[in-house]
Amino acid sequence: MEQKPTRPNSYLALAIISTILCCLPSGIVSIIYATKVNSLYEDGKYDEAVRASKNAKTWGIVSVVIALVGWLLYILIFGVAMLGAIANGGY
Amino acid sequence: MVVTKSKKIVIYTSIVIVFLGMLSLYFFWNPSNHAFFPKCPFYAFTGIFCPGCGSQRAIHKLINGEIVEGIRHNYLILLLFIVLGYQSILFLLNKFTSTTYKNLTHKPITTKVILVIVILFWILRNISVVPFTELAP
Repeated sequence: MEQKPTRPNSYLALAIISTILCCLPSGIVSIIYATKVNSLYEDGKYDEAVRASKNAKTWGIVSVVIALVGWLLYILIFGVAMLGAIANGGY
Repeated sequence: MVVTKSKKIVIYTSIVIVFLGMLSLYFFWNPSNHAFFPKCPFYAFTGIFCPGCGSQRAIHKLINGEIVEGIRHNYLILLLFIVLGYQSILFLLNKFTSTTYKNLTHKPITTKVILVIVILFWILRNISVVPFTELAP
């Protein structure tokens, strides 16, 4: 009997996190790749499944990082501006 | 190996610190009342709710103990908790019991259903007719 290689991670949780928390439809792309990982693996296309897994990981991480950096920049810019306004008694 | 291990520790520690910092921000301030929380860029540009809209308000409500109110801001939070909870329970069961349970999220049908749920949720929450307004953020 043929030995199956280990199942590549589908990064489903990461995909859902990036969809919900990042406001970027790129999370949808991660979910599509997660779906591909599972169906390709079931079809025995192991190499393609591994490639889809890498794509799922990249899309998930990239959208989380973009959202995080954007979020931090926004908070920093507006936080500093508001602190300044409070310090000047204008707020 | 030693270098990669200490690097990993640094990365994980900083992730935890940033995460806790963000959580405390959402714990003490309500995103609906303060301008310094970013608005959803997708909504700002298109005027269409995305699947993630409302999650800041949802997190604020959830960590303040208002579970139902929080989930009503974004029902996908519920999906996230179900998947994460399922994965962690399964991980513990497989690690500490002798039986190996099959992981349902490895089935192609599961991920397809989740994809369909997310896209349906995205479309339906943008329809401003009574039963669907509940899904809006």
